[in-house]
Amino acid sequence: MRDYKKLRQKLLINTKHKLKASVNTDQLIIQATSTIEELDKAINVLAVKFREWYELYNPELSHSVKDHKKFVELALVDSSKSVMGAKLEKLDLQVLLSFAKNIDELFVKREKIVLYAEKKISKLMPNASIVGKPLIVAKLLVHAGSLERLALLPASTIQLFGAEKALFRHLHTKAKPPKHGLILQHPLLASAKRADRGRVARALADKLAIAFKIDFFGGDFIGDKLLKDLEEKFL
Amino acid sequence: MKSIGHKFFNVYSDKKNNLFTLNLTPGKSFFAEKLVRDSGKEFREWDANRSKLAAAIKKKISQIGIRKGSVVLYLGASHGYTPSFISDIVGSSGFIFCLDFAPRVVRDLVFVCEERSNMAPMLESANHPQDYASVVGQVDVVYMDIAQREQTKIFVKNIETFLKKDGFGLLALKARSVDVTKKPKIVFKQVYQELENTKGISVVDYRELAPYELDHAFFVVKKK
Repeated sequence: MRDYKKLRQKLLINTKHKLKASVNTDQLIIQATSTIEELDKAINVLAVKFREWYELYNPELSHSVKDHKKFVELALVDSSKSVMGAKLEKLDLQVLLSFAKNIDELFVKREKIVLYAEKKISKLMPNASIVGKPLIVAKLLVHAGSLERLALLPASTIQLFGAEKALFRHLHTKAKPPKHGLILQHPLLASAKRADRGRVARALADKLAIAFKIDFFGGDFIGDKLLKDLEEKFL
Repeated sequence: MKSIGHKFFNVYSDKKNNLFTLNLTPGKSFFAEKLVRDSGKEFREWDANRSKLAAAIKKKISQIGIRKGSVVLYLGASHGYTPSFISDIVGSSGFIFCLDFAPRVVRDLVFVCEERSNMAPMLESANHPQDYASVVGQVDVVYMDIAQREQTKIFVKNIETFLKKDGFGLLALKARSVDVTKKPKIVFKQVYQELENTKGISVVDYRELAPYELDHAFFVVKKK
């Protein structure tokens, strides 16, 4: 009969050590990036809610400033007279403006996390973050789970990251295949003509795949050269 | 609370046909599952929608081969939902090696294992049995629930390495990870054949897990 009690204690300690050692930069970037995405959603919901509320007081300001961030900032310092808006008591306005302050702080916090993430990403993936933009590269990293996996993936898979629904619809039915997933947010691709997007997406994914491989396995920095190739071809 | 048969140790069902196991750690619930007291004993509700083993029992599988005192190698333990119920079944004289290779879920698993004296966590990949062979040794039951393309091969590899003679192997198969483009029924048939053609084991029983788990099947094999 084996001594399972002792063995269990040993395995518990062993596993805890392994878990401790398993944390790496990839995971820090992944957490920061997905937090940014989550913050974007939350801020949007809160800002829309705030607009509804604020429009009772000053609908003209809300109407003239479409950008949420600018609107919240202006609302905090606004002293213009509103014709349509109701005259609010001190308490009513106080609650409203303290809510605006919270949203404004969320915007600031988001910016801070973005700066931190971009710094981390450029350090971990110098080549890829030049070819793609840091936040797009980070989104690809979130999708793949680790830089190791990204480095081992074919370019065609990177091209379609985030377009899984369309891809499987294509595989199961006669629907058209998707041309791009997450990388659509890249300025080169977003500004391309619709008819060109397939080609640009393919070329961009190719260069990204090369960049990830260099970033993971090591090698000379050629990020700027990869980007120049793309720009010469498509700009 | 009624026992559901002598082949299913410590597994019970209530009047509504929900499954329960005798709680090894009275008063503690790990996954917000319901605790029910009946004639001085405490039972934990076992949700067939969350556990493929429970789903297989609900679908009237003939036996699961796990007894009181069994030593179990659990591959793909995840957060430890199903392992915690196997831990109830084997009782304090049994033992479970809970293996998973994703740090995120093993983190949760460690907390479950710390509360249960017959469970041990391991951060290993089921695809490399040689990495943990010296720790695990020989076991009575190999249970596998890993959504991998090569899961049948990995299953056979682990059975050959760890399972005692007359021991049971349990495989929860996800057709969608073997081949998404094929119909699940065809995948099940292929895996059945693959297991039957493997030397030294025979398939004892097989169940599809719908409606509890779509496109999944459960295989029970015995080592000759």
